[in-house]
Parts: sequence; C-alpha cells; structure tokens
Amino acid sequence: MARTHAPPAPAPTAAAPRALPLRRRPAVIALGFLAPALLMLVVLRLWPAAQALYGSLLHTSLLEGTTTWVGLDNYAVLFTDPDFWQSVGVTLVFNLVINPGQVLIALGLAVLFAKRFAGARLWRSLVLIPVAVPPAVSAVIWGVLYRPEGPLNALLAVFGLPAQPYLTSPAQALGAMIVMMSWVGVGYWMMFLLAGLQDIPADLYEAAKIDGASAWRRFVHVTLPQLRRPLAFVLVADTISNFLVFAPVQLLTSGGPEGATKLMMFDIFHRAYSVGDLHLALAEVMILVLVTLVIVSVQFRLLHSRED
Amino acid sequence: MSHSPARPRSAGPRALRRHGPAVLAAAIGILFALPLLWVFSGSLRDTDEIFAGLDRISWTTLVPADPTLDNYATLLSGDFGIAVANSVLVSAVTVAAGLVMSAMAAFGLSAIPFRGRGAVFAVVVLSFLIPFDAIAIPLSAVFRDWSLQNTYLGLILPGIGNGLAIFLIRQFFLAVPKELVEAARLDGLGWWGVFWRIYVPLSRPVLIGAGMTLFLFQWQAYVWPLLIGTEPAKQLGPIALGNLQGQLVPDYGAIFAGSVVLIAIPLIVILRLQRYFVQSVSTSGLK
Repeated sequence: MARTHAPPAPAPTAAAPRALPLRRRPAVIALGFLAPALLMLVVLRLWPAAQALYGSLLHTSLLEGTTTWVGLDNYAVLFTDPDFWQSVGVTLVFNLVINPGQVLIALGLAVLFAKRFAGARLWRSLVLIPVAVPPAVSAVIWGVLYRPEGPLNALLAVFGLPAQPYLTSPAQALGAMIVMMSWVGVGYWMMFLLAGLQDIPADLYEAAKIDGASAWRRFVHVTLPQLRRPLAFVLVADTISNFLVFAPVQLLTSGGPEGATKLMMFDIFHRAYSVGDLHLALAEVMILVLVTLVIVSVQFRLLHSRED
Repeated sequence: MSHSPARPRSAGPRALRRHGPAVLAAAIGILFALPLLWVFSGSLRDTDEIFAGLDRISWTTLVPADPTLDNYATLLSGDFGIAVANSVLVSAVTVAAGLVMSAMAAFGLSAIPFRGRGAVFAVVVLSFLIPFDAIAIPLSAVFRDWSLQNTYLGLILPGIGNGLAIFLIRQFFLAVPKELVEAARLDGLGWWGVFWRIYVPLSRPVLIGAGMTLFLFQWQAYVWPLLIGTEPAKQLGPIALGNLQGQLVPDYGAIFAGSVVLIAIPLIVILRLQRYFVQSVSTSGLK
C-alpha cells in the first residue's frame, strides 16, 4: 500500500528517488495534518489527566501552606470516609437504574418509531425536542415542576392522589432526578438505535416470517443480534455520561436531602471548592475515572462475547 | 395478545394492531413535549401570574390568558442577553475550528499510510475515553496559570480538541476509494488538495454530524464555563440561567423565557440536521 504513494508525481527529473526528502515522507506529511489536533488532545486531555494523577498524590497543609508528597494517603483517607462511600453508593444505584432503564426505553421507542404509521415523523420530533435541552436548563425547569406546590402535585390532585415530596424527600429525590435526566436522554439514544434499525435488511424479517416466527421471536432473533453494535455504543456512551452528572445536583439539591443525591461528580466539586482540599478531590477524580473505565470495559466484553 | 398468528383475528385486536402504534406514539410524543409547552406558555406570562397558577391545573396552564413578551424584553436588557451572545460566539468558533482540525487529523489517520499510525490513533481513542468533566478541575488550574480565565479563548479551547469528532470523521474517510486519491496524486494534486478538494466535499454528512457533536458539547457545557468564566461579561447561557434561578426571589417569567431561548437554538439545529446525524452514525462503523 505505502509503495503506491511513494513516487512524487510532479518530479520527472527524479529518476530513482531511493531516499525521499524529509518533507515528502508520508509520516511527516501525515503528522503535519495531525499536529494541531494532537497538540489539543495532549494539552487539553492527557496532560490534565496526568496532572490529576500527580496532584492526587500530594497534600497541602493549611497551617504551613506547604505541599508535600504523601503517596497514596489521600486514597486511604477517602476509603475510611463514610461520606465518600455514601457518594459511591448513590452513584452506583443511580447508574444501575438509569442506564438499563434509558437504553430499554430508547430501544422500545426506536422499535415503535421505526414502524410506518400516520404522524410518525411528527411524534418522533416531539420525543426529540428534550434532546435540545441543556442539563442546566432541564434542572431549572424540573425544579419548578417538582416544587411541593408545583404543577406535578396539582396534576396528582386532579386525580385525587396525595401530593408527593419529590426532591425534598431522601426516598424520592434520586428517583425524581432519574426521571428528569431520562426525559432528556432517551430521545438522544433513540436516534442512534433508530439509525441501526433502519439498516437491518428487510429480507431477514421476510425469511423469519416465512419460517412462522412470531413478532416476539423476530425481535429476539433478528432485531437484537443485528442491533448489537449500536446497542453496545449507546450503553457505553450513556454510562460514561451518567457517571459524570453534575449540573442538576448542583442546581437542585446540593447533594441532599441527607446526601441522597450526592453523586460522585458533585462530591468531587464539593471537596475541591467548598471543603477546599483539592488533592483529596483529585484522588476521587482518579477513582471515578477508573470505575468508569472498568465498567465500560466490562460492558464491551459482555456485548462482544455475545457475538459467538 | 395471543401467540397464534395463523388464526384470523376478530375486529377489535385488528383495529388495535392497525392504530395501536399511532395512538401510542402520539401519547408518548405529547408526554415528552408537555413540560416544554408549559415552559413556553410560562415565558409569555407575568411572574405573579405564574406563581398564582402553579398549584392549579386548568386549560390556562398551557395557554396564557393574555400573552406578553415582557419577560423576553427583561432578559435582553440584563446580563442574560450577553450570556446568550457569548454562547453563540463560543459554539460557532468551536464548530468551525474544531471541524477543520478534526477533519485534518482524520485525514492524516486514514488517507496517508505511515508507520506509527496505530499508536497515534490509540492516543485519539484514549483522549475520548478520559471524561472531560472529570479532568476539568486540574485543567482549570493550568488555564489559570496561562491567564486564560475569563477569556473567550479559555472557553473555546477545550471544545476544539474532541476525540469523538476525529473518530467519526476517520471512519467515514476510510471508505473513500483509494483509487480516487492515487489518480489525483498522479495528476499532480498535493496532499492538501486531496484533502480539501476530494475528501471534504465527499464527506458532508459526517462533517455535519461531527459539527453537531462539537456544537452540543459547547452549548450544553456547564462545569467548564462555571470554572473558567466567572466574570459576568464572559458568562455563558446555562450559567446565567442558573444564576437567575439562584436569586433570593427568582423571576420565573425571566427564567422560563431564558430556558426557551437556550432550548430553541439547538432545537432548530437538531431538527434540521437530524437526517445527517443519523447518516453519519450509520456510516461511522458504530454499528
């Protein structure tokens, strides 16, 4: 492959260019195209990640104002801190519910909107509208909807149901958050699954129908296997974004009531800017990134082994 | 529902089969749109009226009795107008610069074979596996050292280096026939010419899809502008909206109007470019 690109075409005098001049070498040309983006990625992603790792191994003494190397001490402090474990617990419960929930609903919606019926485009557009809502904006909107004297309780009253505390109750706050986030997320992931569904060859369904497969069996044996790759992508991307939820917590609950919504990203910011221990916060950043990467790689493995 | 497809069904289930999806889709569509309809109608009301009507549900909940544009006027005269203008500027520059840079990188990774290409690609993949919001704190310290706080450059830069955009475009570029490139090279076209005159024009759908990724990242950003743009003149839309809500006596009319503005702009983009987005996903090998 590489050889076909080698002869510099507009140089008829160069009879046998054994050694190419430096600026004609493919690697140099390619790196020229790559340089701006690589510089950005290294400076804006990899370098701060390295800084986070390094910073997590330091400690600044408030009394003396000196920063010293403490090795893994910050991690040890976190592992003995009940607040940290509460935050980990909340983050795991939140993700165990919201990720399968969002993917299943998105899949259901994609299957529904892949059918042909009157008004399909219009209703699909309505489901997509919340995708445009930035997280901070949806937090503000749902903050009003969830007010104890707000429209949702007014709606319950119309049906003679008792008012609910929503975000003000430790039992309901996380659930209320999950509903709010799903309102935005589900339509977005549906777009990817819909694209995947539309690419499944119709004759696969025809063949299954001729074999007498029921709608459910066609879904399990044709749709799901064909949709494996978009499903894997959606699950992984959704999980990464849900491990990093921050704006709604900061705007609505500040982690409360009683720490019921204290997701790790909020805990990190709380430690860095309210408590003021940046190095401890960076240790938690490293743990969060590590947990996310482990879960994502497990998901990849599970979804790939299903291939065989 | 029975699982015996052979037997002819009675009229009832058949009607359900025929109209079921449409009815279900309509119900779901309306359910998703209702909160926004409520926000929109709220944005056309006095704040006092919003409060008075908050605990009652009637047909006026979704249709304001006498609509007014006062809230929008209030917004434009305050800091919020500047914040929206900042958001538009920051997003537009991010998309333009980010697309050129990402497409160039994708070209370097797909069109020109060279030793070490795998390693460079690994750096790209690694950089989008590191979640940006999680490393925002150390990055903001770096930006403070470089005096990039409260500057447009500081707000824009993190949005430009987007590994996902490079990845999407690369997948598309890989499908461009190599014969086309060789023919062009023999005709004396330089590498930049191959990139700019062949690859870019062929790749409109994926460029639009990647541009949308870059745009949404910047438009929805919250953590980064909170850390880096604290001065009112450099605030972005979502932060300004959060400030409106955080006031002691929040002006709900203005908050609703602000929400409508911050939603309307990406909504137009998404609904218009939905088709390209789906296309870019279809060809990206994500499936």
